[in-house]
Amino acid sequence: MLVSYNWLKDFLNIDEDPKDLAEKITRTGVEIESVIHPEEGLKKIVVGHVVDCEDIEGTHLHLTHVDVGEDEPLQIVCGAPNVAAGQDVIVALHGARIAGNEKIKKGKIRGIQSFGMICGMQEIGFSDSVVPQKYVDGIFVFPEDADVKPGQDVYEALGMDDYILDFDITPNRADTLSMEGAAYEVGAIVDQKPKIEEVVLKADGPEWTNDFEAKVDEKLAPKFYLRKVSGVKIAESPLWLQTRLWNAGIRPINNVVDATNYVMLLTGQPMHAYDARAFADGKLEVRKANQGEKLTLLNDKEVELDPNDIVITDGKTPVMMAGVMGGKNSEVEDDTTDVILESAIFDGTLVRKSALRHANRTEASSRFEKGVNWDNTQKALDMAAILLRNDANGNINEGEIKATDKDRKPAVVKTTISYINKVLGTELSSDEVVKIFDRLNFETEVNGDDLTVTVPNRRWDIEIPADLVEEVGRIYGYDNLKSTQPVLPTTQGGYSEDEMKMRRIKNIVEGQGMMEAISYSLTSPEKAVRYTLNPKALVEVQWPLNSSRSAMRQNLMTGLVDAASYNMARKQKQLALYEQGRVYDHDGGNFNEHEHLATLYAGNTFSDNWQHLTQKIDFYFVKGQLENLFTAVGINPEDVEYRATEIDGMHPTRTAAMYLDNEYIGMIGMIAHAVTLAEKALRGAELYGYELDLDVLDEHLQKGMTAKAAPKFPSIERDLSILVKSDVTNQEVENVIKSNAGKYLNDLHVIDVYSGSHIEEGKKSLAYNLVFLNENDTLTDDVVNKAMEKVTEALQEDLEAKIR
Amino acid sequence: MDLFDKLKELRQNGLDEIKKASDEKKLNEVRVELVGKKSELTNILHSMKEVAPEQRREVGQKVNEIRDLFNSHLNAAKDEILAKVIAKKMEEERIDVTLPGRKGHLGSKHPINIILDDLENFFIGMGYKVVQGPEVETDHYVFEMMNLPKDHPARDMQATFYIDDENLLRSQTSGDQARVLEKHDFSKGPLKMVGPGKVYRRDDDDATHSHQFMQMEGLVIDKNITMSDLKGTLELIAKHVFGQDREIRLRPSYFPFTEPSVEMDVSCFKCNGKGCAICKYTGWIEVLGAGMVHPNVLENAGVDSNVYGGFAFGLGLDRFAILKYGVTDIRDFYTNDVRFLEQFRKEED
Repeated sequence: MLVSYNWLKDFLNIDEDPKDLAEKITRTGVEIESVIHPEEGLKKIVVGHVVDCEDIEGTHLHLTHVDVGEDEPLQIVCGAPNVAAGQDVIVALHGARIAGNEKIKKGKIRGIQSFGMICGMQEIGFSDSVVPQKYVDGIFVFPEDADVKPGQDVYEALGMDDYILDFDITPNRADTLSMEGAAYEVGAIVDQKPKIEEVVLKADGPEWTNDFEAKVDEKLAPKFYLRKVSGVKIAESPLWLQTRLWNAGIRPINNVVDATNYVMLLTGQPMHAYDARAFADGKLEVRKANQGEKLTLLNDKEVELDPNDIVITDGKTPVMMAGVMGGKNSEVEDDTTDVILESAIFDGTLVRKSALRHANRTEASSRFEKGVNWDNTQKALDMAAILLRNDANGNINEGEIKATDKDRKPAVVKTTISYINKVLGTELSSDEVVKIFDRLNFETEVNGDDLTVTVPNRRWDIEIPADLVEEVGRIYGYDNLKSTQPVLPTTQGGYSEDEMKMRRIKNIVEGQGMMEAISYSLTSPEKAVRYTLNPKALVEVQWPLNSSRSAMRQNLMTGLVDAASYNMARKQKQLALYEQGRVYDHDGGNFNEHEHLATLYAGNTFSDNWQHLTQKIDFYFVKGQLENLFTAVGINPEDVEYRATEIDGMHPTRTAAMYLDNEYIGMIGMIAHAVTLAEKALRGAELYGYELDLDVLDEHLQKGMTAKAAPKFPSIERDLSILVKSDVTNQEVENVIKSNAGKYLNDLHVIDVYSGSHIEEGKKSLAYNLVFLNENDTLTDDVVNKAMEKVTEALQEDLEAKIR
Repeated sequence: MDLFDKLKELRQNGLDEIKKASDEKKLNEVRVELVGKKSELTNILHSMKEVAPEQRREVGQKVNEIRDLFNSHLNAAKDEILAKVIAKKMEEERIDVTLPGRKGHLGSKHPINIILDDLENFFIGMGYKVVQGPEVETDHYVFEMMNLPKDHPARDMQATFYIDDENLLRSQTSGDQARVLEKHDFSKGPLKMVGPGKVYRRDDDDATHSHQFMQMEGLVIDKNITMSDLKGTLELIAKHVFGQDREIRLRPSYFPFTEPSVEMDVSCFKCNGKGCAICKYTGWIEVLGAGMVHPNVLENAGVDSNVYGGFAFGLGLDRFAILKYGVTDIRDFYTNDVRFLEQFRKEED
């Protein structure tokens, strides 16, 4: 709501700097987003009277002489199509500043001297949307009633000397969507009673209610009042009224429509004016629309009505979408003489849904959906009628129709002074509290600690004691509250146990040099289940923003691959990314969320260096990092079983699914060529990574540990080299060694893998280092020899290995 | 030649030879020759019986004297040779210390998580528990329990991703409040929690909007919590995150789940309140929303609002990060450009 400071002065005796006032209102009631002073930055813009005007041949230009209050009229060349002799216009003189800080200088146009510029409203800073239609494409012409003299500044006449306070209201404070509401609010802040004008109407036209029948569903419109004004002459509104409208952001249209908008701005009650010819049968009905009914709105939009739209009909056909916008078929036009005025309360929820459904939000609909003052229905109706008499020569017909007239009683809220103080942390006396409600114009009754507040209908947001606490708190001033800390028994702060484990894992991964990424959870349905061993039912949103963000991810890898693509397109090829986050599925009809961790590497182990000492990232580098992670969180990497597996999106012969106690914990491998070749930025890149299900891993993590001393006895090492068939895996060999080497085998690792020339076709050579240790005694060669003998025999037997 | 002259000559020759020895090997040969088991000096000692008895003592002394002299010269020469060898070796091994080192990967935290970790630690220090709730939530917890019944106009303020009529991607972390309130046993003490996490809204991504972002919810409930306590707590947060000399301003606001509701602004840390582009020339920057928990929220969760009450606050971690680090485009947090992310390595948390 754009609130005019000058208009506020009709209600309150204020002379405070508007910016200071705005700051007070912001701290106490409603945030003032901005304070605009329309004339700011403008200079030397005056009223001019066009003395004569003639066309300049062969151009669209006019040569005018304009009286600007000086001895001689100024010669001005003007291109506007609507300039004419006899008009009062806006003139920017030589040396003027107009909108956009543009400077106007005298000069020659087509060789003809021009000593200034005749301006349109936009040129002095008005928005297109508030300029009266007939001046949108030309210059502005002061209406005849305007009391302006050539040479005087235009600012006051056009309302540009005003300050416009932009009330950025929250949904509960729609009471300030009117000048009266704003005046009550500002009055409470500056501690003044606003002067709210009462309206007394005397009819001067014939009785009309006997010839008109209005049938209204009370559920749809609990209050529905009508008046008739006849004999109106459609014309421009007086300038003072137009300036109030455009300063509030509303385009003046004609004296009837403007009157309804003005009354809405003043009282907050949306109004409508129908051409009485629309109700030729003298019938009006308020009902829900029927399936298939159509209505062309005032903005020329043809809408197919929904059975939940409220409509006003002429007894048969809809002529208005209630609370939203009138129909073309009942529009007030230039030849309108008789007008039906409507002041009504419509069901806010239905109006809101209609406005949303038809994408047609209006000043009226936004007020109905947020609520309006039930006490202003009559006043608004009468005031609009009087304006039509004053400004449009209308006769107010005798009588009014109140088709529905549901009463709303003011809310009576009971609380205590001590409750208010307890919540705020204040020590206000009952007098102080009463004084605050007095400033708000709320009636109070105090009985000891008990406080009863009667809240007028204009503040429909207040219903419960907590609402009263807010009123007291804000008027007392949040600045005046003390700053304290809760006095409470000690509480033990901290993370949950699961969260602690996750944070530990993240720290280790970060220590391994990984850069943390955060990706979007929403992705495409395909990517959501790529890199996923066992895809589950998807979690998909109903109205996605686009198809690439429509399903919740079931893996983190897809986000990291997207990140790799983004970076590689920008020549960043050395990547070590990780993400810890959730994945989502709809397995078994439940919405499940699991914590995952994924890493993705590209490039080399070391960045390019002058020593040329680096290696391409490969499967085994990444696996080594992962094994270190396992070790660091207390999982013996040897307990993790790697099974070569095919997973969508992963390289089919370079990927393993990982199991711990036969439970799937994640996967490791290379991103498939099918993925990297399909994307330009990734072409030729080798991406390796792993993804772990932390929820599963969590159960295997050690909690606490007991230290043991470093070994006191020396260990004995043996190397073993064997020749096996190519398809024998390291895992198989290690399994045989481990199950035959006896209890003193302390460490086993592969030290060489070779296949190629020097070796029989279809065979490969493997070499292992075995470390034996007896923690309680010195180990003898004899024992180790026997163990080795057993190992070699088993290898020969089980894997047809040749010992080399 | 008399024995003494011989010794004299032996002494002189020996010293000359030590001087001549140029490397360790030669020096060793000289050592063997001069003081070894078959050296002239040893020979003389061994043939002492051929010396006149009255001279034996003197000869013996002389021989020992010469041997000691040889030994000390040999050692000195050895040290000298070694020093030369080392010097040579070191010279050969000279490197250009200004050449760069080999760089492996260097880890870093995501800026939003830097802010999050910092805040979590801050709150844990004040006795808050960190609580996590589901991101795929129900209308019930996100809206209805939070005093936002269906058709509440404030639902328009948030465009929500619905999955079906009841399930949705949470548009606020407030649902965690309801879940915790339902479970908390007040006989075991007050409730103090923060709930951070991802939230989702149907906004098209641009420089200032993101369909996914991070929030943190705070809730303190007990028997005697006041709005002054809220103000004091918010002040601590503002100063902790944005600097000790920040001023705060509480503005009345509206949230369905709090009454009274406020928004907190901090004095602009860029211009100190004078007005600049960051604070849109107001001198103030909006940082979070808060309020006293609405009685309906307590009652909905089965908590007696006549006995218990308290405050809640919600803050945007992305917004905090944007403000604190001067980030100009929220999408930078989610595109994971390494050139953007690597800057935050130097930021401690």
